[in-house]
Amino acid sequence: MRWILLFCLGLGLPAMADMDYALKPRQIAEGTWLLEGSTDNFAKANGGNIVNVAFIVTEAGVVVIDTGPSRRYGEALRQAIASVTAKPVIQVLLTHHHPDHALGNQAFKDVPIGALADTTKLLHEQGDSMAESLYRMVGDWMRGTEVVLPSEVLEPGVRTFGNHDLRLLALTGHTGADLAIFDQSTGVLFAGDLVFYQRALTTPNSPGLGAWLADITTLQGLPWTLVVPGHGPIATDAQPFEQMRDYLTWLDQLLRDGAAHGSDMTEMIRSPIPERFAAISLSRYELIRSVSHLYPRYERAQMHPLLRN
Amino acid sequence: MNRRLICLLACLLPWAAHATEVDPVPSVMWAFYHKQFLDNAPFVFDERVKLLAPPFAEDARQVPLEIDARAFKGRVVRIFAWAELNPLPKIVDFQPKAGVLPWLSLRIRIEQATPLRAAVLTDDGVWHVGSTLIDAAGGGCTAPSVVRTQPGWEEHIGEVLGGRYPRGEYSRVRVQVAHPMDNGMVSGIPEFYLNHAQLLGDNGQVMAELELFPAVSENPNLAFDIEGAGQTRLVLRDNSGNEFDAAIP
Repeated sequence: MRWILLFCLGLGLPAMADMDYALKPRQIAEGTWLLEGSTDNFAKANGGNIVNVAFIVTEAGVVVIDTGPSRRYGEALRQAIASVTAKPVIQVLLTHHHPDHALGNQAFKDVPIGALADTTKLLHEQGDSMAESLYRMVGDWMRGTEVVLPSEVLEPGVRTFGNHDLRLLALTGHTGADLAIFDQSTGVLFAGDLVFYQRALTTPNSPGLGAWLADITTLQGLPWTLVVPGHGPIATDAQPFEQMRDYLTWLDQLLRDGAAHGSDMTEMIRSPIPERFAAISLSRYELIRSVSHLYPRYERAQMHPLLRN
Repeated sequence: MNRRLICLLACLLPWAAHATEVDPVPSVMWAFYHKQFLDNAPFVFDERVKLLAPPFAEDARQVPLEIDARAFKGRVVRIFAWAELNPLPKIVDFQPKAGVLPWLSLRIRIEQATPLRAAVLTDDGVWHVGSTLIDAAGGGCTAPSVVRTQPGWEEHIGEVLGGRYPRGEYSRVRVQVAHPMDNGMVSGIPEFYLNHAQLLGDNGQVMAELELFPAVSENPNLAFDIEGAGQTRLVLRDNSGNEFDAAIP
């Protein structure tokens, strides 16, 4: 019996040791650090670390932008922050309510967690079911993860933390409540999931691709010098905006044409994806999802009430 | 896949051109449903019956399904579809007649990852079975109705939205019917669903006959491919005896 136990322990330990996010903060601007996730889908191999999380070390303390996909990630994030600064965390800003951005909140219960009012509402409504689906996709990495709602309502405008003036923008394209954060002191734009770069965008809560396109124009018009997308590599040029605009326009037109042609969803998900999007991770997978989320609206626009005799 | 399995499949391939007795999906239920739904009649698993669904259900309450038996055009008597691991597996029993292609699309609910089947009975008495697998987080059959949360939904029951879309040699007719399609699995709400539909031509001739089952999603979406011109009517009936009639120009 004892041998069996020891054997099981032996099997279990390496697995536990593997479950380490190994977060390595990378400095991308003055006082500004990035934890770049992969552009893959949620998987047991990555623990859900598919997201970009950042923090700014200001004179007044550390401002954290998004908390990651799990309690374990949130805790690892705090350790990563402590590895580069002795300053305390003073504020969390959540860009939106999606689980990969907000399920690390448990590790930041001791500081104000700020979000747009509708982000809190959406996290309250959908948080548990989103966490459930992450448990399903990434497994034990999620252990002990629970939804913690934001404790502070953010309004658009400038918030100052030490020497950093952060301009908060309330936009809607990705989820209906999307916070973009422009650091006026460094020129870094934290676009949240309004900008996906080299990773297909996701649409489960999008109010519509038109609204999203308008947000892209708003963001691109800011005097940024560096863009941090919610997913994918950072950029100092306008490539992420151009890719977003191209992809959103293509998707919108595809769905519009399909509906006008009477295509069914199963036909839509088989649509060819243009060669120029070949480098974008997960475009087929996300097309299948987006057709489910968005196509019914396009279909109804192409249908008429049929009079009863 | 291990090497032995690949070898085995490679050996089987020459015999498995279109129709085969080897089940293309992993199923524990085939024998049961073969007896239950097809009365143990002769059958083949046949890739010419295309059963098309997404690889996973993004919304388990609205899973698109396309049944394409056009390879058997002119020979199809009946098409019967089901979701093996659903608590209520039956989806649709479709009998296309002259002027309607053996093709149908609709949306369904699934309760968990499951094999899907569409069995096509041809005039020689053989069932040609198309299969696919769909993955799902689940819960589509037992989730509370979305329709019932919308105020005034009762006023809209039976309203039909739709259109006709020319597609070369045929035209596509699509309809969306306002109906909660209660499947009896949500506590306190008894079965209330559209169970019959008839597609009629401009002379009143029956072009297609459908029996619908509660695995069909709420606010059902149906699409048919029709040859020739002329107005089409869709007459729908639910299990409470309501009848709805829509004219498709």
